[in-house]
Amino acid sequence: MMNIAIVTDSTADIPADLIEKHQIHVVPNLVIIDGQALVDGKDISRDEFYLRLPGMKEPPTTSTASSGEYQQLYQNLLELGADQVISVHVSSQFSGIYNAAHTASQEFPGRVYVQDSQSVSMGLGFQVLAAAESIARHATIGEILALLADIRPRVRLIAMLDTLEYVRRSGRVSWARARLGGLLQIKPFIEVREGGKVISLGEARTRSKGIARLKELILGLGELERLAILHTRAEADARQILSELRNRLPFDPLVINVTTVIGTHVGPNGLGFAAVVK
Amino acid sequence: MLSDPTPVARSDPDTAKTVIDGQTFKRLVEASLTWLRTNHQIVNSLNVFPVPDGDTGTNMLLTMQAAFDEIANSGEHNLGKMVHSVSHGALMGARGNSGVILSQLWRGFARAVDNKAVLDVPTMVQAFAAARDTAYKGVVRPVEGTILTVAKDIATAADSAQASTDNPVTLLDILVTAADRSVQRTPELLPVLKEAGVVDAGGKGLFFILEGMLRYLKGEPLDVAITAVLPLSEMIFENTMEAIEPGQDFEVIVDFRPHEPLELPVFYNDLEQMGTSIQVGEGDGMYRLHIHVPTEKLYSPIDYTRSLGVITKIAIENLIAQMEERQDSCDDSQPIIAPIEPGQIAVIAVSPGPGISRVFASLGVAGIVEGGQTMNPSTQEIIHSFENLPTDKVILLPNNKNIILAAQAAAELTVKTVAVIPSRSVPQGLAAIMRLIPDGNFETVVSEMNEALEDVETGEITIATRSVEIDNVQVREGEIIALHNGKLVLAAASLEEACLELLKESQADHFELITMFYGDNISKAEVFRIADKVRTVYPAQEVEIQEGCQPHYQFIIAIE
Repeated sequence: MMNIAIVTDSTADIPADLIEKHQIHVVPNLVIIDGQALVDGKDISRDEFYLRLPGMKEPPTTSTASSGEYQQLYQNLLELGADQVISVHVSSQFSGIYNAAHTASQEFPGRVYVQDSQSVSMGLGFQVLAAAESIARHATIGEILALLADIRPRVRLIAMLDTLEYVRRSGRVSWARARLGGLLQIKPFIEVREGGKVISLGEARTRSKGIARLKELILGLGELERLAILHTRAEADARQILSELRNRLPFDPLVINVTTVIGTHVGPNGLGFAAVVK
Repeated sequence: MLSDPTPVARSDPDTAKTVIDGQTFKRLVEASLTWLRTNHQIVNSLNVFPVPDGDTGTNMLLTMQAAFDEIANSGEHNLGKMVHSVSHGALMGARGNSGVILSQLWRGFARAVDNKAVLDVPTMVQAFAAARDTAYKGVVRPVEGTILTVAKDIATAADSAQASTDNPVTLLDILVTAADRSVQRTPELLPVLKEAGVVDAGGKGLFFILEGMLRYLKGEPLDVAITAVLPLSEMIFENTMEAIEPGQDFEVIVDFRPHEPLELPVFYNDLEQMGTSIQVGEGDGMYRLHIHVPTEKLYSPIDYTRSLGVITKIAIENLIAQMEERQDSCDDSQPIIAPIEPGQIAVIAVSPGPGISRVFASLGVAGIVEGGQTMNPSTQEIIHSFENLPTDKVILLPNNKNIILAAQAAAELTVKTVAVIPSRSVPQGLAAIMRLIPDGNFETVVSEMNEALEDVETGEITIATRSVEIDNVQVREGEIIALHNGKLVLAAASLEEACLELLKESQADHFELITMFYGDNISKAEVFRIADKVRTVYPAQEVEIQEGCQPHYQFIIAIE
């Protein structure tokens, strides 16, 4: 039986208890505020970050682990007894993490497998969890790769932002740049599609209409395998959506306060969900 | 322009009947156009609602102009081919609901005369019947007491008269009389006309089109209106700001009571020496003169009328200063429209003002068609807005009830898949575009947008263009009025009062967000003062102020 280790990065947003349960190796990303590099969740709490974000003079930047650091990690895991490593990461459209990890994996042919999740947050996290669960069931690396390829097109990741400002500023979404000078009160909906492209799903004029639309979108997905309600310091709204959906679902969805590394690009008070449809 | 009113139609030497071939028909269309131009202000004045809305006379005139432009240089002698061109021109140039229905009448007419060399009585009978049928089919829910009824009565009259004459001119004479009678009857069929004390504008326009042809065939002049003096209540100065030309520095309005009955031709002739945009109204022996004059002739109309009678009131406005103020108050920069990717869903929005265009642009429209309350875009302009986009999937937001038909006509004239979302106001259009998913499934997006029209209440604040009682609301010309979802709900003494009463009427306290788009006819100071007041009265609602720059409407308000 092969011993397979699993690696991801902190944009996966997997809750701590599940990280521990599945022994997932999470490479931290850093958020840099006023020249200070902070580890998300350790040096700065997520709630504090989102509270401070609108008032920051300079938008925070983010920093990721280098290819060398990934190489070091893979080396350590293999030396500590892993036969193979599967390393699943944030969409290469948003970040250099996948490329860094992929370059590092070249040193370990046939032993380290790096996968582009083409998603982020729990859209990535659910892929990692599925892989971890199959490792626990003694799946082979080939079976895990097939499983990931099967899940990827079934991942849905949709968010209602409180403003388009942060996405526009991030420069990662081309169409957002054109949307200047419009309405002040507007809640844009975005979706991360397979392939890691961010598309517009329209807007809502008010938050309550937006929340109603989010619920409709979730219920419109059909049968679900997994669901997480995501928020950037909007836990009350997330809990409210959860309470209304709970008795319509055969399982308890997760509620996730999204990592600062993503949050800096979407802004506070956002709400959304990641799902895997059947 | 027709300068020579003498008929040029050929007569058949054997029967002395007028023969209408392609070239004669061209003259008839030109005569219709000229006569409609002479009388289009009369048609415009037949506006049921006292709001500066899509002017029926102007829309029909521009539609006829497009129809004539299509044949102006044609040497075609075949009648069928000539009418076909007229129909095509009318279709592409159709503006407003009345213009679209007029183009449908032409379409039916053209089909019936296909392959005919000349227009004889049996062909006319068939053509008017086909015109009626095509026009009725073009309207989803035909309403009687409108241009459709007049078209129907014309067709019926043609059918009854065909046994009694074989002369097209005689038949046309009968049809003009029938059209007139039908127009007079419209208030009996459509209560809203009766309530407003007017006849149907579109029907009246159709009457002028036929009458123009008849007047030409009879050799009567076409460029002098029969009624040079309007009733006082029908004088509309609302649109005067639209077309200020050099030498029109001041607007002068003089009320006076002449000592002796006015010699109108002399009166007009004298006024034309002083200025332009002349309108004269009369009621109970009191005359009102409206004229635009250059600075050096500012007092000429006053001195002149004083020589004719007793002046009771004078109003002078500096148009140049008004124009400058207006240009100050509004950022009329063009919206920046992001190009769409091939195959995405493209949304085209009709927008009445640059500010509103910028908001639509920020929400991802692929194109803007300028137009709205007073200027309805033509079918052709709408087609132009999307025909070069790199996609076959197009959604049109007319954002005005009087543009929906032209949008639907545009949808039928293209090979692209075009859906018209029947948005009747800017707030409805904005609610619809919120549901745009550029990469989404076309049918789903269209259905979502249709549903979204119900998401918002629309308020509009403007100045009454005439005195009227409608929907149990008594309105005097010049008063501020408010419309809720297109229905007149109140008249008020001030803009502030109108806004607050409208919000009360629409139960704004049950909603979350009030967005006020202010027009190009209100100062920012006034806007902010009113907005503060609204915020005080509605502390639980978000109040957003946006520059709309729309003409005529001080505020367009979205309540959601």
